Amino acid sequence: MTSLRYIGSRLAQLLFVLWAVATILFLLFRLMPGNPLAAYIDPTFTEEQQAALMARFGLDRPLWEQYFIYLANLLQGDLGQSFFYREPVGERVLALLPNTLVLTFTSLILAYSFGIVVGAYLAWTRGSIVERATIPLVLTTRAMPEFWLGMILLAVFSFSLGWFPAGGTRPPGSEYGSLLALYTSYDFLLHLTLPALTLAIYSLGLPLLLMRSNMLDVMAEDFVTMARIKGLSTWTVVVRHAARNALLPVTTSFAISVGYQIQGNVVVETVFSWPGLGRELVKAVSASDYPLAQGAFLMIALVVVIMNLIADLLYGVLDPRVSHA
Amino acid sequence: MRRFFTPLTVAFAVSTAIATPALSAGEPIRELHLLTRPQAAQPQEFQFIQLIAQEWRKLGLEIEVDVMPWEQMADVVWYNRDDWDMTGWQMVGRPERSDPDEIVYNLFHSSTADSGYNFIGYENPEFDKVAEAQRVETDAAARRALIDEAQAILAADQPNAMLAHPFNTFAYDKTVWDPSSVVEQGGIGIRNTWTFLSLAPLGDQKDIILNSADNIQAINPLFISGATDSWITELVWDRLLRIGPDGLPQPWAAEAYDWVDDTTVEVVLRDAMMWHDGKPVTAEDVKFSFEAPLGDEAPMYKPFVTSIDSIEIVDDQTLLFKLKEPAAAFVTATLAKVNIIPKHIWEPILSNLGSTDDNAESYQEETPIGSGPYKFASWSTNEEVVLEGNGDHFSAPKAERWILRIVPNTEAALGMLRSGEINFLSDFTADPEILETTATEDGDLDVVKTVDIGFRYIAFNNRRPPFNDPAFRNALSTAVNRDLIIRAAFKDNAVKSNSVVSPALDFWHNEATLEMDSGLERAKEILAAAGYEVIDGRLHYPDGTSETLGK
Repeated sequence: MTSLRYIGSRLAQLLFVLWAVATILFLLFRLMPGNPLAAYIDPTFTEEQQAALMARFGLDRPLWEQYFIYLANLLQGDLGQSFFYREPVGERVLALLPNTLVLTFTSLILAYSFGIVVGAYLAWTRGSIVERATIPLVLTTRAMPEFWLGMILLAVFSFSLGWFPAGGTRPPGSEYGSLLALYTSYDFLLHLTLPALTLAIYSLGLPLLLMRSNMLDVMAEDFVTMARIKGLSTWTVVVRHAARNALLPVTTSFAISVGYQIQGNVVVETVFSWPGLGRELVKAVSASDYPLAQGAFLMIALVVVIMNLIADLLYGVLDPRVSHA
Repeated sequence: MRRFFTPLTVAFAVSTAIATPALSAGEPIRELHLLTRPQAAQPQEFQFIQLIAQEWRKLGLEIEVDVMPWEQMADVVWYNRDDWDMTGWQMVGRPERSDPDEIVYNLFHSSTADSGYNFIGYENPEFDKVAEAQRVETDAAARRALIDEAQAILAADQPNAMLAHPFNTFAYDKTVWDPSSVVEQGGIGIRNTWTFLSLAPLGDQKDIILNSADNIQAINPLFISGATDSWITELVWDRLLRIGPDGLPQPWAAEAYDWVDDTTVEVVLRDAMMWHDGKPVTAEDVKFSFEAPLGDEAPMYKPFVTSIDSIEIVDDQTLLFKLKEPAAAFVTATLAKVNIIPKHIWEPILSNLGSTDDNAESYQEETPIGSGPYKFASWSTNEEVVLEGNGDHFSAPKAERWILRIVPNTEAALGMLRSGEINFLSDFTADPEILETTATEDGDLDVVKTVDIGFRYIAFNNRRPPFNDPAFRNALSTAVNRDLIIRAAFKDNAVKSNSVVSPALDFWHNEATLEMDSGLERAKEILAAAGYEVIDGRLHYPDGTSETLGK
């Protein structure tokens, strides 16, 4: 019962957060300098056309009215129509979101699998030459700008060696019956490799260092010493006793990272011509395409709060000591 | 008498006493603001603005350069017309701008000063007369004389400081495409419809794979959307005429056209044209295409058809366009501009839209149907658009498919050209030198540079003093060393300009405009002759003129 009540209150919080985000977005984009009609300026652009566009975009109404229309539409799941593409924002966002999610999850899973294993290993071999050489290397990957790393990978693996294509999700002119058919194709994997690798290398530092420091804490605890005294093999001590416990905070950080990563994709999506939500977001903001920018940000906010909720709930499951009562 | 000795009289007496010795000069000119876009977005503009500001400061002016992104600059310049001094600006080349009317009239006629493209507020009744006269003059030679005169008036008035016509730079893989099949279109470059029709494959690769940095907004014959979108609409839909490689309109879906009199054009359609869905193209379809924008469903095309009084179908192949008044640019601006659309598809769509808030601009066909040389095949959002060659077309392309890839990263596009992921570089915004170096290294690439119809300039706000004085504008323009700008900012990838009609438009360009004085000394002479004076290093207005702004 208590846990159901907990979930209920968390869901209420979630709705409140989304409303707050939606409101801030609404105000933020209207406070920014710029004009959605700037995209239409042309020698044949007439005054009637300008007035008609303002009316079509609803920008001729008072701000409070625009806000209530926006909220009312939002409640019905309607994100409005993009000024720039003249297409429903929902459709557009949903068309691009899968590409972004695939890229995000692939890179994070890579980063976390590798980070957890290497982090645990480094903790176990603390003080060795390997550890002393690896830590600065990991810090370097964290300090490298993503676009720079992406361009280097492009130059080496695509342009010099020719192993991987340089952009997009598929070879020119190829057709796939469905999104699933595309995502499970070998060609897609080839296209995914470099952008996912760039993001994975960039995100590697957090799980690796987090895992290492958690391991060091756990290894100092009595139950690990006890396990060793019992004469258990090193493997059993490290994996079954130490690593399992050190893994808990890393799990939370994975869930939260998904949200942050989606924003970080902007740069990588541009470098690798990846048709995702991040690129669209930048375009929408710079073109003062309010509905599209609002919709894209709201979608990202939704992913972030949901992943946070999952992290919280998961924590209770993984660690019985944490109670939601 | 004492009560007359008020503070006001004292102030008056004192001010006259002070002003008298300096009677030869007006007030100092305020600090002038010059807008430019950021270096990352517009490296050339950013640089020439800095160079020019330096020169102008030597005239005794205080120039402040304000950097802002395009969206913000456009908002200030277009929607706050009284609030700015000078700005970097540009016009881009488009096939329909091969006729000088759009640029000569819309940029400078006084009727477009309030809310149209004459955002600089240039008003000259003498110019208006010439601009109107060329509109209705249907005799080419007489019209050319008028366009010449318009350019001469602008050169004398200098409403803007014209700077350069940049080069269009494109490249393709010459091991994939036969170099002799590449067509150069005057003022547009090699990325044009004619090239896409005639490119002949040399080997197994028969798909034209090209790039654009911009996303596709829409594929819609009734919506003038992004520049890249127009590459597609030009291939999927036919027009009665097309602008030829020489910049002049030539028959296309029309077999022939003829001016019957000043206000009547007779058009004869080609035989046996088919829509991509297999139905025949009829005179009814053509009539419908020109009448559809008259309602409110295709507002962007409306200005192009309002000159039409009526369209009469004479027989299955012949139509008569009757105009409200003579319109010289009608052939280029309307017949070569309006897409021919199938009535059986668009009539029901438009009538449904009539009862909603939306118009045809937000209607995206699942499979766009035209009659053009390429058929729509597929479109994946922000990634690629695929067109297939229409073998049944009267001008069927030699390539099999036309595949447009969206590549926002220019450096990656260049790498893709080398690796074969694309084989026609149709959008390249980085330094042309890099492209040329790469081409030399690679050996398989051909780079083609041509002068653009478009141009770069500094717009003066003619409404605001001191820019309301032609002499002042002339002096600023004269102070600019255009040769230096071309070398330093454009790295020799442009030609200098003193006319809005590009030298790429051989027939219309007035060569004499380039015989202009240049240099700081000459600029100072012009200012001195107009009564401006430098006092303590600061330029002052002529006698009696006071600064009304910016205090």
